[in-house]
Amino acid sequence: MKAFEMYHPIVLFAYFASVIGLSMFYMHPVYLIITCTAAITLSLLLNRKSFLSGLKFFVPMFLIAAIINPLISHNGEIILFYIDYNAITLEAIVYGFAMSIMICSVIFWFGCYNAVMTSDKFLYLFSKLSPALALVISLTLRLVPRFKYQITVIAHAQKTIGMDISAGSPWQRGKSGIRILSILITWALENAIETADSMKARGYGLKNRSTFSLFIFEKRDGFMLGIILTLLFTNILGSYFGVTTYYFYPTFTELTVTPISIGLYISYASLLIIPIVIEIQEAIKWRSLKYNM
Amino acid sequence: MQAQSAARANNFARKRLIFSSIIIFVIIPIVMIVGVTMFNDRKYNLISMIIVLLACVPFFISFERRKPQPREILTIAVMSAISVAGRAAFIWIPAFKPVTAITAITGFAFGAEAGFLTGATSAIASNIFFGQGPWTPFQMFTWGILGYIAGLLGQKGWMKSKIALIVFGTVAGVLYSFCMDIWTVISYDGLFSWKRYLIAISTAIPFTIVYAVSNVIFLLILAKPIGEKLERIKVKYGMLNN
Amino acid sequence: MALIEIQHVNFQYPEKQERVLDDINLTIEEGEFAVICGTSGCGKSTLLKQLKREIAPHGEKSGTIYYAGTALEDLPDRVAASEIGFVMQNPENQIVTDKVWHELSFGLENLGLETMAIRRRVAEMANFFGIQQWFRKSTMELSGGQKQLLNLAAIMAMQPKLLILDEPTSQLDPIAATEFIGTLQKLNKELGLTIILVEHRLEEVFPIADRVVVMEKGRIICNDSPQNVAKQLKEYDYNHPMMLGLPTPVRINNALKVNDVVPLTIRDGRKWLSKHFSNDVRALKSGLSEKACDIVLEVKEAWFRYEKNLPDVLRGFSLQVHAGEIVSILGGNGTGKTTALGVLSGLFKPYRGNIFINGKSIKKFSNGELYRNNLAVLPQDPLTLLVEKKVHLEFDSIISVLKISKEAAKEQLDEIIATLGIGHLLDSHPYDLSGGEQQKVALAKVLLLHPKIILLDEPTKGIDAYSKKIFAEVLQTLKTRHVAVVMVTHDIEFSAQYSDRCAMFFDGDIVSEDEPKLFYSGNNFYTTASHRMSRHFFDHAVTSEDVISLCKHNQQLEPTTSPVNV
Repeated sequence: MKAFEMYHPIVLFAYFASVIGLSMFYMHPVYLIITCTAAITLSLLLNRKSFLSGLKFFVPMFLIAAIINPLISHNGEIILFYIDYNAITLEAIVYGFAMSIMICSVIFWFGCYNAVMTSDKFLYLFSKLSPALALVISLTLRLVPRFKYQITVIAHAQKTIGMDISAGSPWQRGKSGIRILSILITWALENAIETADSMKARGYGLKNRSTFSLFIFEKRDGFMLGIILTLLFTNILGSYFGVTTYYFYPTFTELTVTPISIGLYISYASLLIIPIVIEIQEAIKWRSLKYNM
Repeated sequence: MQAQSAARANNFARKRLIFSSIIIFVIIPIVMIVGVTMFNDRKYNLISMIIVLLACVPFFISFERRKPQPREILTIAVMSAISVAGRAAFIWIPAFKPVTAITAITGFAFGAEAGFLTGATSAIASNIFFGQGPWTPFQMFTWGILGYIAGLLGQKGWMKSKIALIVFGTVAGVLYSFCMDIWTVISYDGLFSWKRYLIAISTAIPFTIVYAVSNVIFLLILAKPIGEKLERIKVKYGMLNN
Repeated sequence: MALIEIQHVNFQYPEKQERVLDDINLTIEEGEFAVICGTSGCGKSTLLKQLKREIAPHGEKSGTIYYAGTALEDLPDRVAASEIGFVMQNPENQIVTDKVWHELSFGLENLGLETMAIRRRVAEMANFFGIQQWFRKSTMELSGGQKQLLNLAAIMAMQPKLLILDEPTSQLDPIAATEFIGTLQKLNKELGLTIILVEHRLEEVFPIADRVVVMEKGRIICNDSPQNVAKQLKEYDYNHPMMLGLPTPVRINNALKVNDVVPLTIRDGRKWLSKHFSNDVRALKSGLSEKACDIVLEVKEAWFRYEKNLPDVLRGFSLQVHAGEIVSILGGNGTGKTTALGVLSGLFKPYRGNIFINGKSIKKFSNGELYRNNLAVLPQDPLTLLVEKKVHLEFDSIISVLKISKEAAKEQLDEIIATLGIGHLLDSHPYDLSGGEQQKVALAKVLLLHPKIILLDEPTKGIDAYSKKIFAEVLQTLKTRHVAVVMVTHDIEFSAQYSDRCAMFFDGDIVSEDEPKLFYSGNNFYTTASHRMSRHFFDHAVTSEDVISLCKHNQQLEPTTSPVNV
């Protein structure tokens, strides 16, 4: 179990909402570097496998997105060369890369989000917003694997009476597919009535329903939530005063190095590396525990 | 009894209208204004995500306040799960998804609200299995609103004919593609330009066609039998009284 | 004190003529373990649902049901929901949420309990039912038996005073079913919980019940202790379909018309047998079954695994099946017997070994050829074959595929319908039929394809003893037409009674096979109730018929026997 994942879902959600929101928002080179480094590090820590296997998909996407921009956008002052009388500018190229970094980082953040926010955490949060709909989603999540299994069962049964989904012309295959779906729907709806009865039998619909979860909001969760929110507001404030704005067009804004901007860089970086710090801390703690045993 | 429930339904409808109005006319503009002034009018990606999410909220609230019966809850869950799992039956054709059609059929049979919820739930559930991304809110809203429209049309009794189904399927496919392309464009750098939008739409034409065609096929073949099945369930288990 | 008092209850479904419940009067005392039984359609499930207000079906009802002295309608919602627990037949359908812990707490959330209170009750239940190990698992990872145990635990968490169960074990394998019944007994004995159970597998519950209620056509025909019910039923109608469902010792006792305390368990049965009969004739003369028919299906050394990196499920599985033979494949869960059926039916391809149908390798058949005039499969869930809204449309859909003339089709269809006795079902919706009826409709559909070999997957699961008998008669008819039948089953009794050969499947292969008499008399644990009851006394008696006729060959010993002798 990863240490960061052990925090309360509210803390985790607050972290990802802040981080993803801010990452989508900042185009400032320093911020981009911080975002990208943190996103990659965290991905390696939290979901190494799917991150690495996803790379073969993201790297080309990254390059294509970067290349498309200078072909579409001809703004900018530093002209490198012309294609079909269209100016290809350095600004547009850099902007394209910056864009790609931002998009990829956001996708990496979502990868970490998916690794950390398992369905039960998501449903816990959602049930605070809308308990009835959270129940609908919970039921759906339970039914999907069941239906998938039932689809193979029906497909097998149908195959043995000569309705084969894996052979024949596309038209016939499509027809068998729809037949399977049709059988599935009847089956599912009739069975669902029993599930509804089971809910009613256990008192669903009584007044004052409570919600139960295994998650407990501890002191350290409150502490962490405080840190996240403080850092988030510091950054929003900084953006509001324009410290973090950066323009690529008509040409690059100059990078500012003032005590305030440095403070903001640090506050942004601190927000992003929270989970990384937690993971490292935990690793050290376990190592010392092991030695002391 | 009937008058009472009708009055209650009326009451709910009014409340829903108030909630929707508050969100549409107050909160969304506030988000837009804040976005435009604070973010110098160039961060559509974040703002659009928030707006789209907010747009779903009235539906959720009214569902919540209505205290849905277990059988309604189950119907929505079953139809959503089928549209997610149903992809497995057609996995061998890319972009050939029954989601829109099943959402629409639910809308025809159970009304606009059930249509919206089925669409939105399908989006959330399928993204829980395949991974959430920034596109989740867009998918939720697009499928939801398609289900909503289907519900409105179905209640008017317009969706009985084959031509209506063909038109609906095609339009829904195109709409879905267009809506998702808005996201494709915005996600690129938070800006929206018609030029890029056109490029995005034109590159997505093959997908749009598959969406539309699959919608039409699914609707033509499934609308009647599934509609009958839903009717049977309604009659057999007394779900008509709401 | 009476916990439940049913007074003059009548019920009929909307738009139906006959009453499903006809003047029911029944009292259940607190702490009682009551078993309600009857053939399918006798109204027992309807009666149970009347006891649970929340799920009582729509319809016309008269009469009153009192719960602890209060009319059921007047109970406060909260009391009605929590104090009367209801467990249904299908373990899957009752589960609402996707996590075990959430399922346990679901009812408590509905009651609006505080988090700490829920935590405590959930912990208590997890401990009592031994589900700590899978507490955080997804509900879909559980086995059928675990699911049903979870359903029971989730209801027990609400601390009911009355537990109602509608055929809770019919979808479970025998081991899980026994375990489940054991848990019920524990709840009844240790907590004094009042239980009303509807069951058709009476072998285990009959002896532990305090009261047995037998229903027929919406009426109660017997209501007494198990002992007395066993006697009353015999007097009521000796050929009553319910007789078939009674425990083996009871059936043997009834058939031999012995007047003594009726033996309910195997243990009592063994004593009873030695007490009342001599065993001068120990074995029946076995009429050797004629063999040497053609081999229609043969598996040679089949090896199979689902994926390259998964372990083998079949390890050199071999089997020969002759025309007109009924073969049962038995074995526990997870031994691979369902996979074996998949390989036999051509759905799974073995990576080594081969399958021959009428001497021709299965690989050389196209799908169309294989499943027409050759091989047919009746799946465990007959509903996977049924798609139309009327039974007769099911047949039309398959006939349209067959491309034969209308007259020929009609002739064939009429014959099949007559064989299976489903003429009265043609206009029904498949989902409105009972499990046994659904199965016959699915079988009829399959038979239209003229199979020479039929593969059955758990054909007796969830159907009552009488329907089993009818089904067995259909199999016998098929047999006379030289159709080979291979079934995978958990049902020891059924296989002993009706098959020509039984094969024990274990660890990916068949480890022993023989005709039922030899097969089961060679086993000590995995054998029929009749054999367990009689093996100290007779040889090779594996069905109740065997025991009965052996008894008749021997003398009745006691003077206490009835004057009317065999």
